[in-house]
Amino acid sequence: MKDHTLVSGWLRYCRQWLLAWLQAAQQQTPKPPPRAAQGEHPMQKVSNISDLRLLFHRNERPIYFISATNFNLLGIDQWVNRFKYINYIDCFDGRHPNVFVPPQLPHEEFQSIEDINNYLLQHKDVVDYVERAGGRPVAVFLMFDAETERLCEELGIEVWFPSAALRERCDNKMETVRIGNKAGVPSVPNALCKVDSYAHLREIAAAHGLGEQLVVQTAFGDSGHTTFFISSESDFDRHAEEIIQDPEVKIMKRINCRGATLEACATRSGTLVGPLLTEVVGEAELTPYRGGWCGNEIFPGAFSEEVRAKARDMAYRFGNQLMAEGYRGYFDLDFLIDKDTDEVYLGELNPRICGASPMTNHAAFAYADVPLFLFHLLEFSGIEFELDVEELNARWANPAFIDSWSQLVIKHTANNVDIITHAPATGIYRMADDGSVSYHRFDYKRQDIESENEAFFLRISGPGDYRYEGADLGILITRGRSMTDDFALNERARNWITGIKKYYAAKPIMAVHEEQVPAPGAFKIL
Amino acid sequence: MRCTFEAIREDTPGARWQGLFQLRWPAYQQWFLRDGHRARPSYLAGRRALRQHMPELAGLYQQLCELAGGGDLEARFLSQWCPPSYISGCSQAVWIDPYGVAGPLLARNYDYAPALLEGSWLSTRWLGRQVLAMSDCLWGALDGINEDGLAASLSFGGRTAVGEGFGIPLVMRYLLETASTTAEAVAILQRLPVHMTYNISLLDKHSHWATVFVAPDRPTEVVSRTAVANHQHGVEWQAHARATLSEEREWMLSQGVRKAESADDVLRTLLRPPLFQTAYGRGYGTLYTAAYHPQTLTAELLWPDMRWSQYCLDVQEGVLNMRFDANHGG
Repeated sequence: MKDHTLVSGWLRYCRQWLLAWLQAAQQQTPKPPPRAAQGEHPMQKVSNISDLRLLFHRNERPIYFISATNFNLLGIDQWVNRFKYINYIDCFDGRHPNVFVPPQLPHEEFQSIEDINNYLLQHKDVVDYVERAGGRPVAVFLMFDAETERLCEELGIEVWFPSAALRERCDNKMETVRIGNKAGVPSVPNALCKVDSYAHLREIAAAHGLGEQLVVQTAFGDSGHTTFFISSESDFDRHAEEIIQDPEVKIMKRINCRGATLEACATRSGTLVGPLLTEVVGEAELTPYRGGWCGNEIFPGAFSEEVRAKARDMAYRFGNQLMAEGYRGYFDLDFLIDKDTDEVYLGELNPRICGASPMTNHAAFAYADVPLFLFHLLEFSGIEFELDVEELNARWANPAFIDSWSQLVIKHTANNVDIITHAPATGIYRMADDGSVSYHRFDYKRQDIESENEAFFLRISGPGDYRYEGADLGILITRGRSMTDDFALNERARNWITGIKKYYAAKPIMAVHEEQVPAPGAFKIL
Repeated sequence: MRCTFEAIREDTPGARWQGLFQLRWPAYQQWFLRDGHRARPSYLAGRRALRQHMPELAGLYQQLCELAGGGDLEARFLSQWCPPSYISGCSQAVWIDPYGVAGPLLARNYDYAPALLEGSWLSTRWLGRQVLAMSDCLWGALDGINEDGLAASLSFGGRTAVGEGFGIPLVMRYLLETASTTAEAVAILQRLPVHMTYNISLLDKHSHWATVFVAPDRPTEVVSRTAVANHQHGVEWQAHARATLSEEREWMLSQGVRKAESADDVLRTLLRPPLFQTAYGRGYGTLYTAAYHPQTLTAELLWPDMRWSQYCLDVQEGVLNMRFDANHGG
């Protein structure tokens, strides 16, 4: 009897074990398909530029640049497989193979690029487009906020940028100064203080030795909108409200300076530094805003060797400090170069891609290696990498890796509002010997420009759009320079601007409700 | 004014529903955009709300969006999430035979503008349950019955409050698609947000019944009223109640139900003034009387001189034209 119990117990034990084993075997997740089949690249580690090129050449994850236009990341789709643009404005009249523009819906008036992106992310055609493409989608933006992040999460889209909150912190001009100070990257002599009155401002300036001529900036703001030049009480009174309401403003000594900008990418292998670009600012043919950004140039002799070396070193150190602050990836630094002393100062930080990005990503080094933005994608891709950043930076510092290009952002400069009836199409234009400009062919690749007699025009405002003071009409990209050595627009650039603007025709507005007219500067594209 | 009533059978969404959509969308679009282009929530918000509150309908919704052409505006309308406000008249009655002989009855008058009636009595099997319902907002319902013997109908609750929630026709559709009994339907109404105030009458084949007051700004309340019109506990919107004779109708109907010896007695009350209203020109005329018999799974549409019967599990297609006098003083 006892034996029998033992045997049956043993059998029961065996049976239970077998059942448990079978159950466990069934519950075991099936062997995952190869990473490549999941839309993942099989590459284990990126160690050099060839690996990086291959990685994105064979990328299977849909990556979307969601923005008003595709301008800022123009051409990245030629480096990254499955890179698509989801835009509000169709600059290409449906002819760009990688641009998706959903039919326009009535919407609240956009106050910002974030609003445009949030509108796009809730648009059924966009939702369908992203969901039907499948995969594990990724989005990159020029601008985004917490609402954008929430919408992306709902749609299962991963945002490949540091969080909006972190970006906002870094974007604060006071914070930029502090991060710079930590990194040993000096700003123009300044004080960061709350200002109560003009007298108080003077007190602060005296205490910090900032002199009589001051520049005051508020924490956030676009170029030309929140920078105040103050030499007298009447200057102060004009902007008093904006200055006093801020908990802290940046008060700088006014220097005789030139602006320059440089883009870089903070990665765990170190900060990659792009070329130093000149800035086109406040040109009356291009912008109604005094001090407003309206383009860039890149050319080998733009700055002295010393200035370039200083700026590059500052960007490198600043980027590494950003990594320490938790920010990683693409960023843009503005520099102020004192014309009297050749001293280089930190200006502003744009913790994002920006209007200068197309210049950086199409400079000669980008074709020799890869566009800087690919390092940003790499940093967020989750792929392991180890790059010789020092070697790359050394190469990109070589003037041979810089060719000469310029881009001009053409805004409507007249103080009127009308409706565009005709607009020049995006494509390549030619300039005749007499300086006149004519449309030559459709294209969406700016590098297809053959010579200085050709230009690529990216149309932004088209037929049916309102033309108002400050409206972006389009962007003109040319080989060679647009400025003279004294940094005024050269004759060729003037001819280009006149020639392109000539193609715009508009009709007056008849009985239009006021609310339908966008307020000047309601949002800007770049 | 002429209204066409049509009984339509289409088990799964297809060409018939698509045809109805195409026919009615232009008018609905106008209505949907009534408060301007900016007033309605986004597609994503509507889809999110549906997925959260009525997950069973989410797949069907996507199917219908496709049939509607896949556009954003159409999809936002179909989600019925925070639609423009709408009101109507309507009276509802529940009758339970005091002798326990005849089966229970849910009956109602639908009082509205003839031009705004869809008139489609849709027999569908969208989620596996046979449902026969009077269609509104293209896939919502004004009243109806399902194969488990749950009948439901609605009347406007007489308040102007508007909040974040679903348009009531979709809520009615959801009840008929997913609930089998009054208790299940009540539980659903207790958790669903609605965008305006309504009174919903529910009756199942076990003679369990309930009147549910829903509102965007108050908790759902379950009461027992054999007769309801267009107010809840008391009149809150005087002008509406006066124009639609809400209190008179409720009083007459409750008397009628109390004294009724048969289901037909209740229906006769509904087909006579003041319950049967003729203010068609003002938008408060009675367009049809519906009677649902959960025990036999039958449904009827009635007018003073016409009666149209259907069996929920075998609906016979057909068309009926009715003429209403718009100039009638009412």
